[in-house]
Amino acid sequence: MAQIVEVKVPDIGDFKNIPVIEVMVKSGDIVKAEDSLLTLESDKAAMEVPAPVGGIVREVKVNVGDKVSEGVLILLLETEEKTVSPPPPQGESQGKETAQSVPAEPRPQIVEPAAAPLPAHTPSLAEVITELEGILPHASPSIRRFARELGVDVAKVSGSGPKGRILQEDIQAYVKSALSALPTSAQAAATGGALNLPPWPKIDFTKFGPIESVPLGRIKKLSGGYLARNWVMIPHVTQFDEADIGALETFRVALNKEQEKAGDGIKLTMLAFLIKASVAALQKFPEFNASLDNENLILKRYFHIGFAADTPDGLVVPVIRDADRKGLLDIAREMAELSKKARDGKLAATEMQGGCFSISSLGGIGGTAFTPIINAPEVAILGVSKSAMKPHWDGQQFVPHLMLPLSLSYDHRVIDGAAAARFTTYLGQLLGDMRRTLL
Amino acid sequence: MSDAVTPDLTCDLLVLGGGPGGYSAAFRAADLGLKVVLVERHATLGGVCLNVGCIPSKALLHVAAVIEEAQQGDAFGISFAAPQIDLDKLRAYKSKVVGKLTQGLAGMAKARKVQVVQGVGQFVDGQHLAVETSEGRKLIGFTQAIIAAGSRAVKLPFIPDDPRIVDSTGALELRSIPKHLLVIGGGIIGLEMATVYSALGARISVVEMLDGLMPGVDRDLVKVFEKKNLRRFDKVMLKTRVTAVEALKDGVKVTFAGEQAPDKPQKYDMVLVAVGRTPNGKLLDADKTGVNVDERGFIAVDAQMRTNVPHIFAIGDIVGQPMLAHKAVHEAHVAAEVAAGQKSFFDARVIPSVAYTSPEVAWVGLTEEQCKAQGIAVDKGLFPWAASGRAIANGVEDGFTKLLFEQKSGRIIGGAIVGVNAGDMIGEIALAIEMGADAIDIGKTIHPHPTLGETIGLAAEAAHGSCTDLPAQRKR
Repeated sequence: MAQIVEVKVPDIGDFKNIPVIEVMVKSGDIVKAEDSLLTLESDKAAMEVPAPVGGIVREVKVNVGDKVSEGVLILLLETEEKTVSPPPPQGESQGKETAQSVPAEPRPQIVEPAAAPLPAHTPSLAEVITELEGILPHASPSIRRFARELGVDVAKVSGSGPKGRILQEDIQAYVKSALSALPTSAQAAATGGALNLPPWPKIDFTKFGPIESVPLGRIKKLSGGYLARNWVMIPHVTQFDEADIGALETFRVALNKEQEKAGDGIKLTMLAFLIKASVAALQKFPEFNASLDNENLILKRYFHIGFAADTPDGLVVPVIRDADRKGLLDIAREMAELSKKARDGKLAATEMQGGCFSISSLGGIGGTAFTPIINAPEVAILGVSKSAMKPHWDGQQFVPHLMLPLSLSYDHRVIDGAAAARFTTYLGQLLGDMRRTLL
Repeated sequence: MSDAVTPDLTCDLLVLGGGPGGYSAAFRAADLGLKVVLVERHATLGGVCLNVGCIPSKALLHVAAVIEEAQQGDAFGISFAAPQIDLDKLRAYKSKVVGKLTQGLAGMAKARKVQVVQGVGQFVDGQHLAVETSEGRKLIGFTQAIIAAGSRAVKLPFIPDDPRIVDSTGALELRSIPKHLLVIGGGIIGLEMATVYSALGARISVVEMLDGLMPGVDRDLVKVFEKKNLRRFDKVMLKTRVTAVEALKDGVKVTFAGEQAPDKPQKYDMVLVAVGRTPNGKLLDADKTGVNVDERGFIAVDAQMRTNVPHIFAIGDIVGQPMLAHKAVHEAHVAAEVAAGQKSFFDARVIPSVAYTSPEVAWVGLTEEQCKAQGIAVDKGLFPWAASGRAIANGVEDGFTKLLFEQKSGRIIGGAIVGVNAGDMIGEIALAIEMGADAIDIGKTIHPHPTLGETIGLAAEAAHGSCTDLPAQRKR
């Protein structure tokens, strides 16, 4: 029996009146569950709204440019699906109820997704047969069967046999590399090793006193999972150091005075200098400008630097692209623009992508050191705390020096401790005398 | 459970339907250790294919080929007298062929301890099937089920009940040999029966709604078929429909409409309705299990042959086109293996089709027309049988073998043969497609000489440009 399902804008956080920037379907289209219906440009990023169930699009109720909020009708979907409670194959006789009209979770595009799990979708026979019409992976029936047993999509396997034929060894190698790419989850679970964690404590806090339950903000909800993944999967080490920035600070203050006179309003922050100095350090130590890809290290020949920006809704990391080709003033100007956008919630997803190395500065607030979490797939992050005057023994007497605390967290799979010490030392030299960036 | 009565019988796996799909599923599942009950409404296993389809029609086509070959003996100086046809004996031969196979199946079912229950089965709920047997109603409880209930010939609503008007099953009964037979439907089934009746002495007319015989095949193959078969046909009426059929005392009066319709209604001694087959999905009370059956009676399945109800599978004609026994058997093995806990999928890339006419027409994978429609660039290798020593020696040089190679990868994506024994040879092309072979793989595989099968290797050489049994081609 065909029935009409109303597809509405799902829970997208506390945001209202979000513009529709793309409508991917039109009346008469056939969509599968999870197919993207439209893209919303939310405050933080573009996000796609997926179809909650498969069916035929009957009427699209929104247009590009419309502003929508949670619960607004997007379109009418005619579904063929009848909800049935199938009797389970073995004994247990409680059929699960399937709700029909629930909108699915929106899929944000802010952060790169983790390695995709093996596909759970079993294609229909019709799909398999229409699939025949393209150029198919070069795999014989016995290899296709072997791949099916291991849950491998042969289309993703490259063949090493004659004329690129996929061999049994290729399927095995694919599975091995997929397993080794997930060392802490798949392998550990198989051996019962690490992360055999007890369940999260469930505590009724009201027993102890009055409480208030506040839903997590959207950014917090999103970033939480990625932070946890990065913290668990990357062997972090943090190297602490201090940079003498007395001369640099004098220079910065002088420059800002000139800027004021010039009247174009750009203020140079210490962070702008840190970005410039980091680029020079990354150029000298290329393994810090890298990403791990299974057994390969991807070295990047570009220098996009992310900087953590605090916003009322949480932390975001906008990216300054090609920082090596930009002057200090340009970097400062761009940072100011990106920070404002971030605070106003107008940062586009693309403005947060492609970073090579991140800097998180808490210098304006306080603290002496902290251990930042690496923003995967980057391999290092620089934390900066509040600079302070410290006594420095010059051989005869203590002299006050303005010292900036540096905390460099790095991925120990890629970077050795000695390299990290050299990196922070070099960074300290650069900040001590920015003329060195010219070298 | 909607039925409080204890089942008369329980099993791990119930298979509904004993055709090639059903018995293959039952046997495979039994071999994998499941307790299997197979429900079949007829007294013998084998379904339409063995009892009233593929097999008896092949027995009759063999006889037709013998008659026609004897007639052609004149050309090489061997003359036979006109054949004496003993219809009773011919029917008995056909029945013997069918009997041998169905008895073999019954024996194999027994040896595998597959319990066969004879009767019409209908679902009671998601775990029970009721069967009307000769000993009364039996309730069978099952953990999993495979629906393999097949299809039946489409009936045209305006056609009266009359012994002279038959479907393929009726035609195979061979009650008499008509003077003039009208075949409604120019597809494979109609043309195969036309071949049999023509060899036995009937004149044939064919009426087809579309613009050609054997829809779905490249026209170059059909042209060869037509050239060799024109002699059989009084009339081939394309783009023409039958609008009325009247059973009169002295014949069946048929009225036509369309491009090639005769001015007046025509009279025939016999009419064969072969306009297609329709799935039996709506006859099973499948809705009581929650299994979705569509408007036309088809049941949708995934690549593991599961219906929307995870413990119930469906295979064969009832899940969709092409309605072919060899497709059903492969689907059957997948369903049985999945039911037994294996990770099997229906992963075949191609399903070959054969018209067992004279000459045979066989094809697999993409046709040239499909490649054109889909914008797939191909290299074609065509070997005309006029250049085959064996075809000339056998007096069958009208055929050809054609292979299609996708240009970018060089891999074979389709092939077709028209000529004697085409159906026996198409399997090699199917294997080449499944293995991802290219023209050199096939051409460098040494085929025995002189054979008709050799033409496959030679067609591959032709695509590659290295064939020396054809006039010189451009260099590659």
